Amino acid sequence: MSTLSEESRRIVASLAHRVGPHADTASIAEAIAAILQAMDAALTPIIGQHGFVALYRRSLHLCASAHPRLAGTYESLPAAMDLIALKSVIVEQTDIDALFFGEVLLTTLYELLTTLIGPSLTARLLSGVWEPSLSDSPSQENSP
Amino acid sequence: MSTKVTINRLATGVPGLDEVLGGGLPEFSFNLIAGPPGCGKTTLAHQIMFNLATPERPALFFTVLGEPPLKMLRYQQQFDFFDSEAINHSIRYINLADDTLAGDLDEVLRRIVSEVETHSPALVFVDSFRSVVLASQTQDNPNNNLPQFVQQLGMLMTTWQATTFLIGEYFTETDTNPIFTVADGLIWLRQSVQRNSMVRKLEIMKMRGQPTLPGLHTFRIATPGIKVFAPVVLSPAELPQALPINRLKMGVAQLDEMLGGGLPRGYSLLVAGPSGSGKSILAATFLAEGARNGETGVIAVFEQRPNHSQNATLSDLIRSGKVGLVDSRAPDLSIDEIVQMLLGEITRLKATRVVIDSLSGFELAVAPTFREDFRESLSRMVTALTHSGVSVLMTSELEDRYTDLRFSPYGTAFLTDAIIVQRYIEVESRLLRIMAVVKARASAHSDELRQYSIDDNGLHIGDMLPEQEGLLGGRPTRQRLSNVDG
Repeated sequence: MSTLSEESRRIVASLAHRVGPHADTASIAEAIAAILQAMDAALTPIIGQHGFVALYRRSLHLCASAHPRLAGTYESLPAAMDLIALKSVIVEQTDIDALFFGEVLLTTLYELLTTLIGPSLTARLLSGVWEPSLSDSPSQENSP
Repeated sequence: MSTKVTINRLATGVPGLDEVLGGGLPEFSFNLIAGPPGCGKTTLAHQIMFNLATPERPALFFTVLGEPPLKMLRYQQQFDFFDSEAINHSIRYINLADDTLAGDLDEVLRRIVSEVETHSPALVFVDSFRSVVLASQTQDNPNNNLPQFVQQLGMLMTTWQATTFLIGEYFTETDTNPIFTVADGLIWLRQSVQRNSMVRKLEIMKMRGQPTLPGLHTFRIATPGIKVFAPVVLSPAELPQALPINRLKMGVAQLDEMLGGGLPRGYSLLVAGPSGSGKSILAATFLAEGARNGETGVIAVFEQRPNHSQNATLSDLIRSGKVGLVDSRAPDLSIDEIVQMLLGEITRLKATRVVIDSLSGFELAVAPTFREDFRESLSRMVTALTHSGVSVLMTSELEDRYTDLRFSPYGTAFLTDAIIVQRYIEVESRLLRIMAVVKARASAHSDELRQYSIDDNGLHIGDMLPEQEGLLGGRPTRQRLSNVDG
């Protein structure tokens, strides 16, 4: 479990890093979409387009049941992985909600993959998603 | 100087497979791994891939329709050989499901070729090839020419110096599938089910340019992966018996005498007798005597309640490492598997004495599918063991049938170099035991029927019962001469 939360922190940090300190919802939406695209690019060659879309849908469903407050937002999204629709939903949120939405969705997707193929292979397959943006990341997120 | 091409042979890393293949897998060969669902095709492919792939010699694993890649990754991780670190490093998975769904073989081939050109793999896997075949059948597409697809794939992969594996199922051996002609190697996996027992078997139906070991070879799938039980290859010539004959002490002085000075080294000895006659005690004494002389031994037990836990001497020897124990409770054993376990222990301990207790239990432990060939198998085992230079003592339950003089069930008596028979006889309302050396090949031996007893200190051989006759009938009578006198 500790590796998982560590990875979750990494995802949150990576998102925060991409968004920057004073971002509006539009740049938050762009950052979330960019990470999803990177995950897609890493996984689709291996598990196929259908495989990745299925993971994405399942993650949305899990997010909706875990956070009823956001259920309406998640459910308003189309069945296919449509990043434009996703971004347009995110920009309607407040800054805080948009960021929270992204963090939950990305960590859920990561954890879902972990339950299926284990932490080490998940980390291996998705390592490229976070690495470039984290290279100069400050470590304030990992305060003891 | 030789100008002929040298074909490198890759060590697959699958225990026993290289032996069966006749020395490994030819480099740049185009192979088919076939068999029904659940027979271990994908596992075999993965084990070979993880063993052979390196950053310099990477592998491409194309998943076509069939097992979803997520599930495959999930389940293959359960094996020890699976190394997450290798993924996207020396091993790359590529999903071709969408291309296959479109049903255009030309497009599938184009994708495979473009990925191969990008990554220059040394190893290429296509799982499962069956779905490629199905895709070609479902579409009424003039471009879908399966023989041509296979032909081109085979040619391209060889040209690109890639050793290739197509993984397929449901093929019937009598099919005139074009792939059988194109493939350099056909590895066929089977599950043989008889009654309630299942045995996995592997056959190399074809492997160009190599002396493969013919026939069906059993294998198991466990956490370390697949293990093939290749038959032991015997050295062609049997060494002539060294003279003077080197003999082993049995641990019972009188018995050594009866054998003409002990059991000749490298002999196989069958101890046959009814239940409770002391066969296991004699076997334990044989091992203990070896240990006393600084020799090590191996015992294979095939009993429901193994005797070694009741025999203090034997359990001490096992605990102290002087005797190796082969006590496989695995169901559905094959002879080759047992021989491998025995030889493994013999090599590990440099053992010189081997006991198999008992053949009757051994027969029960062997999967039903092998029982028909039990005699042949037993003969192979005895030959394999004695060829390795050890002396073998086997016990055999012998129902007391006083009307005939039989030494072993299964007609195995001819297989062994020496035979000791134990019997019960009735004398003056007591059950006495007698023992005789029936056979000791190329060695003078006693022809005496000797009474013996068993107590806490082991087995003691006494005298003959000269005044009795008809001992082998079980109900001896006093000799007529003394009857007349009396």
